[in-house]
Amino acid sequence: MSLVARFSQHFPGLIHVFLALFLIAIQAPALAQAADQELYATGEKLFKQNCASCHKPDKDMTGPAIQGARARWEGQGDIYAWIKNSQGYLKTGNAYATKLFEAWNKSVMTPAAVTEEEIDAILYFADNYMPPVAVVVNGKEPPTPPSDAGASWPWLIVLALLFLVVAISLSGVRRGLANAVREADGRTPLPERSMGENLRAWAWNNKIFATLIGLFVVVWLLIQGWNALWVVGVYGGDEVENYRPEQPIAFDHTLHAGQDNLAINCQYCHSSAEKSKHAGIPSANVCMNCHKAVDTGTLTGTTEIAKIYKAIGWDPENQQYTGEEEPIRWVKVHNLPDHAYFSHAQHVAVGKLECQECHGPIDTEMTVAEQWAPLTMGWCIECHGDRAVDMAGNGYYDEVMARLQETDLGHRELKQYLEDGKITVKELGGWECAKCHY
Amino acid sequence: MSSTKRYWKDLGDLHQDPEAIKGREHEFPQETAIDQVLGDPSFGGASTGRRDFLKFLGFSVGAATLAACETPVVKSIPYVNKPEDITPGVANWYASTYYDGEDFASILVKTREGRPIHIKGNPRFGLNRNPSLDKGSINARINSSVLSLYDGARLKGPIKVDQADSAKAQMEMSWDDADTAISNGLASAAAAGKRIVLLTNTIISPSILSAVADLKAKYATVEHVQYDTISYSGITNANLRSFGKRVMPSYDLTRADVVVSIDADFLSSWGCTTELTWQYAMRRNPDGAMNRHFQFETRMSLSGANADERTAIKPSELPLAVIALHDRIAQGTGGISLGGGNADLDAAVAKAADALIAARGRSVVLCGSNDEGLQVLVNSINSMLGNYGSTIDLGRHSTLHQGDDAAVAKLVQDMNGGGVGALLIAGVNPAYSLPNADAFRTGLQKVALSVSFSGYADETASLCSWICPDHHYLESWNDFMPKAGHYALAQPAIRPLFATRQWPESLLRWTGSYSNWHNYVKGNWQRGMAGVDGQGGDMELAWSHAVHNGVHDVAATPGEAAFFNADLAAAATLAKRSATAGDYELVLYTTEAIGNGQHANNPWLQEMPDPLTKITWDNYVCMSPLDVEDLGLNMYLGEQAPASLVTVTVGERSITLPVVPSPGQKSGTLAIALGYGRGANGEKVGLAACVTDHDGKWNSVGRNAYPLTSFSGGSVRYSAAASLSVDGGTYPLAITQTHLTHMDRHSVVRETSLGVYKAGDKKAFNPAHTLAVHEDVNGDGVIDARDRKPVREFDLWEEHPVEGVGHRWGLSIDLNGCIGCGACITACNSENNISVVGKDEVRRSREMHWLRVDRYFSSDMTHAKGKEEGMGKIGRYLEMEVPSQTPKVVFMPVMCQHCNHAPCETVCPVAATTHSNEGLNQMAYNRCIGTRYCANNCPYKVRRFNWFNYVSPKFGEVNPAWDDLGRMVLNPDVTVRARGVIEKCSMCVQSIQAGKLEAKKAGRPVRDGDIETACSAACGTGAIVFGDLNDKGSSIRSKASSDRSYYMLEEIGVQPNVNYLVKVRNTEETTV
Repeated sequence: MSLVARFSQHFPGLIHVFLALFLIAIQAPALAQAADQELYATGEKLFKQNCASCHKPDKDMTGPAIQGARARWEGQGDIYAWIKNSQGYLKTGNAYATKLFEAWNKSVMTPAAVTEEEIDAILYFADNYMPPVAVVVNGKEPPTPPSDAGASWPWLIVLALLFLVVAISLSGVRRGLANAVREADGRTPLPERSMGENLRAWAWNNKIFATLIGLFVVVWLLIQGWNALWVVGVYGGDEVENYRPEQPIAFDHTLHAGQDNLAINCQYCHSSAEKSKHAGIPSANVCMNCHKAVDTGTLTGTTEIAKIYKAIGWDPENQQYTGEEEPIRWVKVHNLPDHAYFSHAQHVAVGKLECQECHGPIDTEMTVAEQWAPLTMGWCIECHGDRAVDMAGNGYYDEVMARLQETDLGHRELKQYLEDGKITVKELGGWECAKCHY
Repeated sequence: MSSTKRYWKDLGDLHQDPEAIKGREHEFPQETAIDQVLGDPSFGGASTGRRDFLKFLGFSVGAATLAACETPVVKSIPYVNKPEDITPGVANWYASTYYDGEDFASILVKTREGRPIHIKGNPRFGLNRNPSLDKGSINARINSSVLSLYDGARLKGPIKVDQADSAKAQMEMSWDDADTAISNGLASAAAAGKRIVLLTNTIISPSILSAVADLKAKYATVEHVQYDTISYSGITNANLRSFGKRVMPSYDLTRADVVVSIDADFLSSWGCTTELTWQYAMRRNPDGAMNRHFQFETRMSLSGANADERTAIKPSELPLAVIALHDRIAQGTGGISLGGGNADLDAAVAKAADALIAARGRSVVLCGSNDEGLQVLVNSINSMLGNYGSTIDLGRHSTLHQGDDAAVAKLVQDMNGGGVGALLIAGVNPAYSLPNADAFRTGLQKVALSVSFSGYADETASLCSWICPDHHYLESWNDFMPKAGHYALAQPAIRPLFATRQWPESLLRWTGSYSNWHNYVKGNWQRGMAGVDGQGGDMELAWSHAVHNGVHDVAATPGEAAFFNADLAAAATLAKRSATAGDYELVLYTTEAIGNGQHANNPWLQEMPDPLTKITWDNYVCMSPLDVEDLGLNMYLGEQAPASLVTVTVGERSITLPVVPSPGQKSGTLAIALGYGRGANGEKVGLAACVTDHDGKWNSVGRNAYPLTSFSGGSVRYSAAASLSVDGGTYPLAITQTHLTHMDRHSVVRETSLGVYKAGDKKAFNPAHTLAVHEDVNGDGVIDARDRKPVREFDLWEEHPVEGVGHRWGLSIDLNGCIGCGACITACNSENNISVVGKDEVRRSREMHWLRVDRYFSSDMTHAKGKEEGMGKIGRYLEMEVPSQTPKVVFMPVMCQHCNHAPCETVCPVAATTHSNEGLNQMAYNRCIGTRYCANNCPYKVRRFNWFNYVSPKFGEVNPAWDDLGRMVLNPDVTVRARGVIEKCSMCVQSIQAGKLEAKKAGRPVRDGDIETACSAACGTGAIVFGDLNDKGSSIRSKASSDRSYYMLEEIGVQPNVNYLVKVRNTEETTV
């Protein structure tokens, strides 16, 4: 029972008072700044839409940091006209604009369809920019990696050691007492024997018990060994479904694909899932579409993103490619045996399956990619035997149906297919060996 | 009765030789491998004791357990920057061009993740494209060429050969060193006024010719000598003499109603075969205007096997036969007679001549002889027949085969005389293939600077002072003009694997230009195109189009009229002089698989059975069976019956080879294949050119027969008078067609004549199989043997619901279209990762080919003929077994027939082979436990068993797929099968599944022709057609329901999904 809970149990009224006070305390400044907050949010949104691919609020990127831009332009020219159409403004011959253009390698700032109010909002946002607080994403705790299930066992060991010490000291005391008694009785004290000798003597005296204990230990060890072997490897056993190898980059699917977070479409990165048998691990240049701008992550800061830069040879300081590339060696999570042919395109483009149907809640729960489905043949054909084929509007299946309706044999077959009210994958060949094995 | 002919596969079959028959009763003649092990005498004396055994056992178990504890972690490494046009898992196809001095073809290269893995003909462009089928015609040598890209013996960079060292040590050098040394060498040769000779195969690349011109401009003494390994000098010289143009004409067999070939194997090796084969096949359709093909030749060639009328003649009789033909045609057309033709051959020659005269201007006479005089006479014949301008074109002539034997002979002389200062050799291997190779080798020592551009340290390259290895052609840019007005481009399908450099770029470098070869070709092309093309506007776009298509045609110039103008009498004298008779007359030829020998290092080709003899991994002496019998040599060859060795001597040179009786060969002649015996002196010429032979010795495959050729009368001769001595030794040969018999049934091959076929009575040429039943079927009130029902109506098993439901995949094989070339076999190898097993395993009937081409000879004797001659029934049958001097040949591709009532499926104890609802007989390798019951029960003998783990170093000599480099050729969509499982034709199910997926994604039905099996795509003659039998509009459906359609062994009721079309021969016979 947590401390707060225990506290509230004993003082039910008091906790509410504290809570109310706390909430008022944190709400107060927020209420006062509501209007500015709104402007800040609008500015942030507009910034992300229009500027973020080349600018950062507080740092130089392809273009200069926006923070302080208004101040820099003060008295130099018309910042609104510059932002709206920089090339047009350059033609006016403004000295500061020309200087700026030269200084930034003559990179053309694309004209933006923004009003002056919107520019105000963007500049306000940049000037008052507060970097996001790490770890808190949209006010929600990031999912922590599940803690180790056996976390309490070190305590058990400590406890066991404690017992051992107590037992040993107690045996010493017992011995001392026994010797005292013997001395009192006028007998010689017990011979001084080592622990091992004692143990042997004990075992000799309690043969049956010792045998049983020994047997038990051996059997227990064997079972443990056997179980340990089952866990080894990814092709069998309990652990398969949750095979979750350590990856060279701590990529978090929930952060990128989760509905509550960035919600990037799976196929933005795994773009060949619709075209090829492989869904494809995105190449580093796909990462750079966003990470050229996003160099600081919410979870790990710059450490993990720097690994992408290293792979593709991007120098974030000078904002340029060095040409020194080094491929990222991902660890394959889903390993099908070589004799099974699986095509993502068939399932995604034709079968219209959602990724999650086989990959589980990868976008909401898996901070580290893991194998969710067993990927056994039984699992595959179970789905093939049950799932109805989505035939509507596909000329290929129209032809299949047309042929079925042409002959008596076809009619008979179709009737058989429809006994369960649907045409399953199995009925159109989904259980044929050569569907997957060739 | 469709045919009373007896079909026999070999002489053992024909003569019913008890020894030969015995060996065939078993599917796998050899007992299991365990017997060999136990029978090994050294086995009993092994020194391994019980304790040692236990130690090994304990260690192995421990090691295996420890090894198993390691978690298999599979890495997956994506691109850093993914190329836009590559999607992992999806194949890209690139148009390119194949040219090796021997064959030319426009091709498509299939690449997966940037690796070329398969080659097929370009179906849309190129002179090898069959427009009636939209398929590109290629041969086995071309589609196997992808394998040579991954040959580990290829040189990895420039090599300097230590000339002072007796062992000719090779040192790896840098390109800079090579460039400096060679440039200096060239400069000093030019300064000394010595010849700098560039010795190449026929160059048909305008850009290379331009680079050669650059070299000539830089060094005044440069000369370019072209040398064809198989010479056509006689023909080109004859054309110079006849028409004033030293070229090979191009032919249009689609216009030829009559084709007469005199010793020209135009379907296998003569001329531009990739073009001639489809043209010929287009006119072999009995429903269209079928051509008539006469062949006069010495040995049974592929063309002879396809001929309607074939006459065997000796090489010495050739000139007389040509003169006889000439005179006969001169009589018919009003030309000049020469006199002195051969009377023996009158009947056959007259028949051909009459057919030619009747088809004036729509006929062609081809002659393969390399004799100038003879070729002038043939030119005269074609001229009299008015074939120039119709079937023969000297305007848009071929540019292949420009080699000049006289120039080569002079070069060798000059080299020995010390007049050659530098020799650059590209694309040819003269130290191996010249008639006077010895003189060439000694001459080479006297050349100060010799440079070879060979990709291997081969026979010639290892004697040169420098080797500057060329790219593989799949790594190269190039352009070609195989025919006047027809251009083709080659583009690389992969980055160069090694530090090689394309040889014309080396030439440029030595002229002081640092131009990149791609830019050079592109610049050349664009300059050239701007003039002829009219696309002057966007040259970049024009170039991209040309690269994309691989081909660019410029406006056709009309074939100019050729005026024959030569001294006929002189030519006749010349021709007659070339005829030399001896004890035996030897002809030298090239085989379909190995060609002139430059591909002898390709295991797929070595293991491809010869179309006629069905022998793999060897060359041999072909002899008439009559001669073999007379000499008392081994007639019936098989696993346990080796061939007899003989020594053939021509002049001072001799060669010892096994003898193979070859039906159809002229008695008194010998035939030996060229192109074998590569790397005989230990040169590293590549995988499979040398293997460990049956004696355990590392040896070259076959023997080199080029030394038996000779140079005379201005050209190299491929026939000679020879003597023969019997050594008494024997030699095992690996033959694929004495095993896997069809149980001696006669419903396997069906053949008829055009006359019978045109009469339209299906019963006469393709009767349905019926079985007698105990009911009154014909309604005559009596139940007797005439009450019969079609086999189809008898069914032991429940019907598979494949007819009319979903897809029903099938193959249709037209025996008229099949010329037996075997391109389908190697295409299947490449597509389906089929293991190469080597000679010894093939000899034990363990070859792994999923597709074989059966060859059947037939006898001339028929029932009708026998009746006419008043022979009794028994006499007739006996006579039918007598080998004819001119047997006819039928080729029959056989793969898994995908029976709807498959006998293999019912006997599998583990249901590893099952039937799909699309008519496929499926094979699940991982379920197979290797009982081989299925192979036993298969009536077609198409199942193959993996006796060993072929992907292992044990088979590394022959199987390309076991090392890291060779493995790159594997098709990633097809499982590599392990030891102990059965495999067989899957009808390229991977392509079927991929094709269906494409259709589903596009939301349309599968269109006819969208899906091709490897064999059907490789078949440029259209003999193999794949499709959906349930698709009413498909071409396979119309073929399957045609009158010619039949099923192999239909009477056993297995209901195959592969049907065959009866072979129709254009002969006058009205009965069969």
